[in-house]
Amino acid sequence: MVIGRGSDRTRCVLQVLEGLGPIWWPNEPSRVFDRIARVHLACVVLADDLTDEPVGELLTRLRELHPVLPIFVVTDANDVADAVQAMRLGATAAVELPPSAGLREYVIQALQ
Amino acid sequence: MKERLPTVFVVDDDEGVRSSLRLLLKSVGIAAQTAASAPDFLASYEADQPGCLVLDVRMPGMSGLELQEQLNVRGAMIPVIFITGHGDIPMAVEAMQQGAFDFLQKPFRDQDLLDRVQKALEKDAANREQLKQRDDIRKRYESLTPREREVLELVTQGKPNKVMAGDLGVSQRTVEIHRARVMEKMAAGSLAQLVRMMMDLDLQPHA
Repeated sequence: MVIGRGSDRTRCVLQVLEGLGPIWWPNEPSRVFDRIARVHLACVVLADDLTDEPVGELLTRLRELHPVLPIFVVTDANDVADAVQAMRLGATAAVELPPSAGLREYVIQALQ
Repeated sequence: MKERLPTVFVVDDDEGVRSSLRLLLKSVGIAAQTAASAPDFLASYEADQPGCLVLDVRMPGMSGLELQEQLNVRGAMIPVIFITGHGDIPMAVEAMQQGAFDFLQKPFRDQDLLDRVQKALEKDAANREQLKQRDDIRKRYESLTPREREVLELVTQGKPNKVMAGDLGVSQRTVEIHRARVMEKMAAGSLAQLVRMMMDLDLQPHA
């Protein structure tokens, strides 16, 4: 599942994951948690910048609720500080923009 | 036994970085030791020394990431703060996945490093306290007789005294005595506390 605002960034992520059946959900914590309780997820990709307010909150709450769910965070290119922050909040891995084959591989591993 | 003061170990092949970090840490009253290479650090590292490690990623010979791997193999729990002038996201992700406490890019503000060092020292102290508590619980568990351990297992499964007496083939009064001894020896104030202790020791009750 890809969570993002539906911007170009989200579209890039969805494009990289084409063929893997990604589902896009808007970045709205209340709706995300309502939906997440009703489906089985293989992994989550947070497409928006971590500095966008709901993203850090989403990541923290997702990790609390799902301790082993693979969660990947897309950061700006070379934004090491953001990647480290994502990892501290419980991300499985961080990948930088533009999302590449690396993200696809992470997701394939999670699906397996 | 005298308690050892926390020490920050700085491992960097750059003498300038080592001395400036040592001075910075000293200026706020934190003891620091430095090493010019990963093998030098490993040769002098004692696992029971509280503290944290400030580690350069790129060094000739064994890199910072390789040193972290070595420490993981040894079961060392010292929090590691990586510092690097050439960091990228995959490197930072790898370090964090391997259990790094933090990852800082040079140049950084002195205060940013000091804040992280402070947090790492707090984390190390908490880890050691947790380990000590676990060790205490294990020692208490080991002081139980085989029969008391049987009772403990049944108690933590939630079985009433009457059922335990039947299971063990003893009188209910005998079970009560064993149960009281278990609670006393384990220094448990309640059944819930006893169950938590067993979970801490990975001796989870199974029905």
